[in-house]
Amino acid sequence: MTEIQRMVLRRLRNALITIFGIIVLNFFLINVMGDPLTLIGHSPRTSPDVTDNTCLRLGLCARDINGKVYELDLFQRFLAYMKDFFTGNMGTSFHWQNTAVLDVIGPALSWTFLLIGTSTVITILIGMVLGALSAQHRGKPLDLATTGFSLFFYGMPFFWLALMMQLSFTKPEFNLHWWPVFPSSQEYDFSIAIFDWTNPSNIASALYHLILPAATLALGTVAGVSLVMRNSLIDVMTEDYVVTARAKGLAERIILRRHVLPNGLPPMVTLIALDMAFIFGGAYQVEYVFSYRGIGWVTIEAINNYDFPVLQFVVVIGGIAVVIANFLADLILIKIDPRIKVA
Amino acid sequence: MRAVDDVSWKLEKGESLGLAGESGCGKTTTALSIIRLLPKNGRIIDGHIRYSGKDLATIKESELRRIRWKHIAIVFQGAMNALNPVKRISWQIAEAIALHDNMSFDEAQGRVVELLELVGINPSRKDEYPHEFSGGMRQRVMIAMALACRPKIIIADEPVTALDVMIQAQILELLTKLQKELDLSMILISHDLSVIAQTCNNVAIMYGGKIAEYGPAEEVFLDPQHPYTQGLLRSFPDIYGPRDLPPWIPGQPPNLLAPPDGCRFHERCPLAFAECLVREPPLYETRPGHLASCHLRAPST
Amino acid sequence: MAFPSGSVSYWLRRRFGISEVRREKFVLTMNRLKEITNSVVHHRMGGIGFAILGFFVTMAFIAPFLPIPPPEHSFLDSQGNQLQYLQPSWEHPFGTDQMGRDILSRVIWGSRVSLLVGFLASVIAGVLGTAVGLVSGFSGGWHDEVLMRINDILLSLPWLALLIVLAQILGGHLSLDVIILTIGLTSWNFTARVVRAQVLTVKERVFVERAKASGASNATILRKHIFPNVFPLVFANTILTVAVAILSEATLAFLGKVDVGTLSWGVVLHEAEASGAALNGWWAWIVMPGLSLVIVILGFSLLGYALDEILNPKLRER
Repeated sequence: MTEIQRMVLRRLRNALITIFGIIVLNFFLINVMGDPLTLIGHSPRTSPDVTDNTCLRLGLCARDINGKVYELDLFQRFLAYMKDFFTGNMGTSFHWQNTAVLDVIGPALSWTFLLIGTSTVITILIGMVLGALSAQHRGKPLDLATTGFSLFFYGMPFFWLALMMQLSFTKPEFNLHWWPVFPSSQEYDFSIAIFDWTNPSNIASALYHLILPAATLALGTVAGVSLVMRNSLIDVMTEDYVVTARAKGLAERIILRRHVLPNGLPPMVTLIALDMAFIFGGAYQVEYVFSYRGIGWVTIEAINNYDFPVLQFVVVIGGIAVVIANFLADLILIKIDPRIKVA
Repeated sequence: MRAVDDVSWKLEKGESLGLAGESGCGKTTTALSIIRLLPKNGRIIDGHIRYSGKDLATIKESELRRIRWKHIAIVFQGAMNALNPVKRISWQIAEAIALHDNMSFDEAQGRVVELLELVGINPSRKDEYPHEFSGGMRQRVMIAMALACRPKIIIADEPVTALDVMIQAQILELLTKLQKELDLSMILISHDLSVIAQTCNNVAIMYGGKIAEYGPAEEVFLDPQHPYTQGLLRSFPDIYGPRDLPPWIPGQPPNLLAPPDGCRFHERCPLAFAECLVREPPLYETRPGHLASCHLRAPST
Repeated sequence: MAFPSGSVSYWLRRRFGISEVRREKFVLTMNRLKEITNSVVHHRMGGIGFAILGFFVTMAFIAPFLPIPPPEHSFLDSQGNQLQYLQPSWEHPFGTDQMGRDILSRVIWGSRVSLLVGFLASVIAGVLGTAVGLVSGFSGGWHDEVLMRINDILLSLPWLALLIVLAQILGGHLSLDVIILTIGLTSWNFTARVVRAQVLTVKERVFVERAKASGASNATILRKHIFPNVFPLVFANTILTVAVAILSEATLAFLGKVDVGTLSWGVVLHEAEASGAALNGWWAWIVMPGLSLVIVILGFSLLGYALDEILNPKLRER
């Protein structure tokens, strides 16, 4: 077995341990929040018939051999949870009555992917270019402007940025009447199916409603990526091999392309993978403010209504997505950075 | 701050000059300023660097770029970071050749093989990355790279620091051999006097950004004129002498942000007297070609 | 912001001229801290950050003595109705909220909770992160494995959901102390990673080897040799954690997850959102508390940035 294979296996093992840990921790975190039945407004002691049914439906109770209903204890529920999880049975939502968890999450996920997809791919590139320019012109006005812009937006909470966008750019009967173009949160209706290609007006409407949330998310992303890129490149620019390149008589432009970027980019892969968690966090807030029915909006609704099955699933897939993203980033890094092979 | 001040010497073809001194005394700064490689916040305030009729301190950047590596190449300190970690060594050597000799990278490969053989590396390793080589081997790669464009002058900045003693000897031997064979001029920077004694014709001892003593290596080492040089030489353990700690020079090199008045060495000098505190000594010629910056060597005394 | 390992000792050596021998005995005292503070103040970005924070901290302290109405006081008109949703005027520079309370006063008083939560939570996170990082880096082996996996798990879980769930567990209802504890307990992992990396490099140094050889106990080595080398890093990191903690509190409060009656910038923004301020064009209600938040966070970022440049020699202009 080569060094690289061993390393990939070790990373894979760590990723699997982490995923397992997430699954276990998730159950306990959510179940110690309190007694689900009480929290969703049932009082088990007062009306036995109603609660027996609810309890059974929610998977909190079971029938014994005599058909008598009894409450499962925490450990029994944990076993049931693990079994359900690995057999793909995610249960039904408490809050969205009679809807399977997967049917709640599915459409929400596609809306979120639409939001994140449109706002991040391009902005990560823009952020990297800005960061590179900033590093190259370090200390000059361009750098100060870019860094100032980035620091300002980087520290800005997404929810406030979303509010400001709403304040500035929504329909005239509500806002500051600056630029009366985009719909406000009250007009967001997501009963339409996403990507309904048979109905062009739906697609147009979806895109129209996408503009403000996507722009909000994009501003935050550009700022973060460009700051990190700048620092990463400046780190590289003070390395000895850049002095060597200069001593060779290479022009600055060529040094940047041949020596600085190839060394500065690999770490960016990891950082962007980590940044994905940050972007998801931002998407939660943006979705909440704009009532955009993505995964963030669903999560917050689930929390407010103690919808445990939905919450459990959202937390788990969020965590697993981040672990997978990091694992993929590691793989890419091993592929593109020769240094790692011995480290 | 003036990191280096009032430093001058001559380097003839085929000759080698050693720059010695404690860390932080301006050796590397002096060397880097020869081809204007000082970092962005460093610059040459005043002075000339004459090289075959041109003043490198004032010519245009584009013109200087053609001189770098083609005429004056550098072997950097600790080759680990001086080589780009994500590029194959053949690529890095070929890059210099391609740039200065108007070739493609592929055409330069022949020369790369030749160079690697010259420095004693098996050319079959040419497509490996720097981290796959040992410290001594990386230094050899660095030397091969420095020779790529057949330069006239090689500046070796601490070429053997951080290598173990056996490898140090090999690398120094290689450097001196190549210097003789290729008739190169060499500037060798080291804090290790024995390294310079082995390799150089002339030596300049630097202290606090200035030259303390300058002269033919043999004379300087056998008959040092500056108290600093004397101290440095005394602090070398004598392998035949008694086994105890060699004497060292107490104190620290001066802070160059606020250099002391008078002689820069007076705070640590065992022989300092009143004049040393107020007036900076010029370089006195004690013997033809042997200079020392010390009031004790003033012609009157 | 990531610190390359080893940078701190390099910085100490450059800055204080500490030789290999003297560095062994080097113990970080308040004097060193003062030196760091001085360099930060004289750093361009750091100076601005320092000024911003000075302004807000002062404001938080002197809030009771300022000529502003109490933040909970509802202004009434002649009929006894609350003067709701007033636009900015001389009397109410930022307008009034849904209960006729003066928003300027609420923003000024809100700074107290926001800053308090930031500082206390980051102290908890700093202590926890340092402890985990020290143990993890120093003892290595399975301790390290377990702690790093826990770290991975916490880093991977959706942060906001985790925060809300944890807050729910710790208190059921979300009083100030529960919020502080929650944020502290979820923000230590970055510090832990940085400290661990630094410990790993310090551990290999000659002076630690020598201390070990001379029979010093692990506790002594940690206290005398490793901790002083890690401390500046922890300090710089904690500054950045304060910003994160303030943001976390604001987010929780904005989502309505903070007890009624608490007053922070996040709460003011929550009330603005709930009253539809953005859609009604009541701009000052949204802009002012948010801007305060952004500027304070900017202050901490600038300070952290300056510290990074000072502590990290690679970022300094060479």
